[in-house]
Amino acid sequence: MSGLAHVQADFQDYLLRESEAVGAHVLGTARVPVATRLGIYAGAYRSRLAEALQSNFPALAKLLGEADFHTLAAAYVRTHDSPYFSIRYYGDALPQFLAAHEDYAAAPVLAELARWEWTMTGVFDAPDATPLTHEALAGVAPQQWARLRFTWHPSVRRLALSWNVPQIWQALTEDRERPQASLNAAPLPWLLWRHELTSYFRSLTHTESALLDAARNGWPFGELCELLCEELGEAQAPAHAAALLRDWVGSGLISGVA
Amino acid sequence: MLKPPALGFGLGLRVDHYEAILADPPPVDWFEVLTENYLVPGGKPLHYLTRIRERYPLAMHGVSMSIGSTAPLDREYLRQVKALAARVEPAWVSDHLCWTGVAGRNTHDLLPLPYTEEALAHVVERVRAVQELLGRRILLENVSSYVAFRDSSLTEWEFLREVAARADCLILLDVNNIYVSAVNHEFDALEYLQAIPPERVQQMHLAGHENHGDYLVDTHDSPVPDPVWELYAAAVRRFGPVSTMIERDDHIPPLAELCAELAQARALCARTLAQEGAADGGGSAAEASARQRPRRAVAAGS
Repeated sequence: MSGLAHVQADFQDYLLRESEAVGAHVLGTARVPVATRLGIYAGAYRSRLAEALQSNFPALAKLLGEADFHTLAAAYVRTHDSPYFSIRYYGDALPQFLAAHEDYAAAPVLAELARWEWTMTGVFDAPDATPLTHEALAGVAPQQWARLRFTWHPSVRRLALSWNVPQIWQALTEDRERPQASLNAAPLPWLLWRHELTSYFRSLTHTESALLDAARNGWPFGELCELLCEELGEAQAPAHAAALLRDWVGSGLISGVA
Repeated sequence: MLKPPALGFGLGLRVDHYEAILADPPPVDWFEVLTENYLVPGGKPLHYLTRIRERYPLAMHGVSMSIGSTAPLDREYLRQVKALAARVEPAWVSDHLCWTGVAGRNTHDLLPLPYTEEALAHVVERVRAVQELLGRRILLENVSSYVAFRDSSLTEWEFLREVAARADCLILLDVNNIYVSAVNHEFDALEYLQAIPPERVQQMHLAGHENHGDYLVDTHDSPVPDPVWELYAAAVRRFGPVSTMIERDDHIPPLAELCAELAQARALCARTLAQEGAADGGGSAAEASARQRPRRAVAAGS
């Protein structure tokens, strides 16, 4: 290992693992000893990553409060180095960390809130795409409809949530009184997406979520209608399918058809 | 090779100011943008960047090139930087003379290098490679530092000067960082300035720091303090009217407050150059260079 590589490995081990080998490479002065000098870097490293967590999970931070979030951030930073060139991506494993950690696993709503916030961040800066318009859809020839497949806006995300985390998140974000955490009878399907520059979310019925997931998996419109027939019967299915499609297009969820 | 034309007086573009800038374009000649903030697939960051670029010249300023690291260059990162540069056509692209991590890790800090011949040769080779990859000369900024390395055989200014000369890159002088490091390492900031060749200095940063008594910490979260203004005047005397911007990274005040601070920089620069001109009988090198250089880059988007 070259001299430079050695210095850098020891310096990084000090920041990440508090290893002391770096002491041999650096000089202090009478006024400011080595430990103080190195300590500036160690403190900056930990606080920068903790700040990144705070900015990526603001609602979770508010829910836990300053002291408890600080404890969580410190524990996460100790066990998670950043491999990312942008600090924007630091914190990707926080939901799993919360779910698995003995201090937090007893409150699974925390992991789910973290998952929600991380997903929202992904929606916020997902790739841009021009949404399909009602006019463009109206131009599709009737005989093509059965084979029609949809391209979804790159910001579209789906979550199944066991807790009322969107309501908790909204209250925390808007500084309103927070509802009690409550467990759903069954995981509830949620849809998140961005239309132009605004992020949206809403819950789905189980029928819509099944149809939407099938459509996102590339099922053509004809097969979506058949799926809906099984759920609703032949009388209601066509009108319901058309209404859902109109809503998806109007919400900016679809960016193309082929 | 000629330097790009000077842009005048700029500010760091911050999210808090997006709407204010678009609603009432401030008297700012250009903006410096944090490269990594825009290395995202889409959405608001790129939307605002595009709209502000339509009105102002931009420079791209990165924190993750890790030019001094012994880890391999991150080619995917550089590919994205190049793509962003193709999109926003910045006046220039800069990063820091430091390293940020090894072994696949990013500490997200601007870590100091030992000033050795080995490190010098290593950095020079990497700057050349990056410039080749990006297809443009880059600017490297001096960072604040808190430790000195036992192995260092050069001063910081010798190291910076040699990197720029051997790799043929340009320099972004952070006046606050020079001041902070001068206090922390007990060197003479003016000696630093004197060692830097004016033809390499493309840009200057102004910022504030935190005083801990025995040492200073570069926080970039407060107004430019008096000693940094004084050092800036000395830098203007040596380097002339170099593109200058105020870099505030935390405790971001309203845009008008930063514009007022920028007006202070503009006035100090003009006053210093006028005094220089008077002292030299009206013909200082700095003024001559000011006359030769256009005050602003061509209009954005042209």
